[in-house]
Amino acid sequence: MDTHDTGYQADLMDIAAEKYKAGRLSRRGFLTAMGALGLVPMLGNRSAYAQASEIVVCNWGGAAEEILKNILGKAFEEETGIPVRVDGAGPSPGKIRAMVESGAVVWDVCDSGAGSAIVMNGAGVIQDIDYSIVDKTKVLDGTALPFGVGNYVFSYAMAWNPTMLPDGAPKTWEDVWNVQDFPGMRTFRKSVRGQLEMAAQAMGVAKEDVYAFLDDEGIKAAIAKFRELRDNIIVWGSGSDSQNLFLQGEVAMGNIYSSRSFLLKDQMEPGSFAMTFDGAVLQPGIWVVPKGNPAGAETAMRFIASAQDPQLQANWFEAIGNGPINPAAASLLPAALAQWNPNDPANVVKQVIYSDEWYGKNQVSAEELYIDALIG
Amino acid sequence: MPHIPEKLRYWMLIIPALAVMIIFYIFPVLNIWGISITEPSVGIENYERMFASNAVKVSFVLTFRIAAITTVACLILGYVVAYTISNLAGRVRPLMLGLVLLPFWVSVLIRSFAWIVLLGRSGLVNDGLMATGIISQPLRLMHNELGVLIAMVHVMLPFAVLPMLTNMRGISGSYIQAARGLGASEWRAFREVYFPQTLPGVMSGGLLVFVLSLGFYVTPALLGGGRVMMISEYITYQIQEFLNWGLGAALSVVLLMATAVVLLIASRFVNLKTTFLERR
Repeated sequence: MDTHDTGYQADLMDIAAEKYKAGRLSRRGFLTAMGALGLVPMLGNRSAYAQASEIVVCNWGGAAEEILKNILGKAFEEETGIPVRVDGAGPSPGKIRAMVESGAVVWDVCDSGAGSAIVMNGAGVIQDIDYSIVDKTKVLDGTALPFGVGNYVFSYAMAWNPTMLPDGAPKTWEDVWNVQDFPGMRTFRKSVRGQLEMAAQAMGVAKEDVYAFLDDEGIKAAIAKFRELRDNIIVWGSGSDSQNLFLQGEVAMGNIYSSRSFLLKDQMEPGSFAMTFDGAVLQPGIWVVPKGNPAGAETAMRFIASAQDPQLQANWFEAIGNGPINPAAASLLPAALAQWNPNDPANVVKQVIYSDEWYGKNQVSAEELYIDALIG
Repeated sequence: MPHIPEKLRYWMLIIPALAVMIIFYIFPVLNIWGISITEPSVGIENYERMFASNAVKVSFVLTFRIAAITTVACLILGYVVAYTISNLAGRVRPLMLGLVLLPFWVSVLIRSFAWIVLLGRSGLVNDGLMATGIISQPLRLMHNELGVLIAMVHVMLPFAVLPMLTNMRGISGSYIQAARGLGASEWRAFREVYFPQTLPGVMSGGLLVFVLSLGFYVTPALLGGGRVMMISEYITYQIQEFLNWGLGAALSVVLLMATAVVLLIASRFVNLKTTFLERR
């Protein structure tokens, strides 16, 4: 079962489209991103086979693609002379497996997730990370796996519109479930990922105990909690939905991607948007290296190590709102931005750490119950 | 030139269209039926899961309820419009007919977004009502069933008006005149003479709207706030969010069957040939 949250990465694609419209992304960059999604025929993809003198990083397209190239790619090229090409084709475990097994590996480094990495390691299609090159201490605790290493982090976090809550803002998930004292519509994701954790906390479960609480009984209780709140819920499907709901004043509060909050803080009128990492769910992205990658293991490891640089991580965050995986990057951020960083030490301690293990076991059944609770 | 029987010539003429239908419609549909019994494993597991699922039941009930309410609303509103155009419009008739057809020039997506602008919490309707002091709190006009219904009625209205209009324009005015001449009141002449003659139009309009509403996707998805999940949105959700092709396909098979059953029942009351084939 692949539990990795590709919805988040697809969301970065949407952000790209918005940035392109706003003139912050070149047309070429946008087309590459769209091509990666299969919307424009991709002819250039094969060129990567022959050239060992470059490194190909595959991510999920969108702003993430352009920005990865401009920030991490440029730095690596300056450092090593090896050009970096970013392919936004979306390195799903299925594609990586097909590539490795057919012997036509095109990608050197892929933006994946812990769940996918576990699956791919089981299938024997990814390499172990060489921790003599990659620095274990430069990533969030728990994201230095033998066969994959953290690249950035994001959160499902509480956001609200203070102007719609003149009598006070919610501080806890319990408050979000309290419709008497905190009136207004709420928004939650249409899929169960990063949602039941909030219902558990609304029942008074401490953030450390959330996944232990969410056994079969706990899941039922959390689902019942959503059933209770559902008349006050508008759900978001894509990240841009959640952004629109806040922009149009449709919802007073909700549980949305931290990267969308990062955009909303600049788009909403001053004083009409706020968020907190209290009780949020923090999830890392994971770099993996396919077996037999064209540029060789060492080059791939060197790229990953290069991307760990705190300054680069900080720049990456400022560009797109991806939290830096390197905790040391936190101190390099402008003070005003630190509060938006999911991986700021002060923010990490407030959050639930996403459990791939729990999702591997429970996602399918929980998903069915969740949608039942919302529409039933 | 060899002689080709006339019948064969006509068949040859429709072959391109038929081929397009078979390759791009019939074949994929059969494929979907196949997926519904082969993924993730061979058997009727998907159908068992579907009938056991409360969410699916809720979604089906919701779909039929929304389709029924939309149909009734479209028929009532549409009847008045069709009656006015065919009996009272006179010289402005082409203009009124044009206005009925006008929405077809704009995509359903755009029209649905327009409703979002109108019905939103800070949309035109709420702002207007607040400004005039009629309400002090914004009304919840969308992201619920009401919003879906308002927009669906708007989208479906022309489909109700056109068959009724066609029907009404074929009714000779002399019947009413005769009834009036025999001393019937205006209302009685309408009720007992005119209205029964319009029933075929009402039935075909209603059937058209109902069947189209059953499979409707865009408007409910945009105005329902994700919680008014009609069956086609539920299918999308299964396939896009969970890559659950098997269940999604099984759902679409059942929706197709349900639509077929509706048509079958309707065929007892409505002449389907005139509903879908002949438009005078």
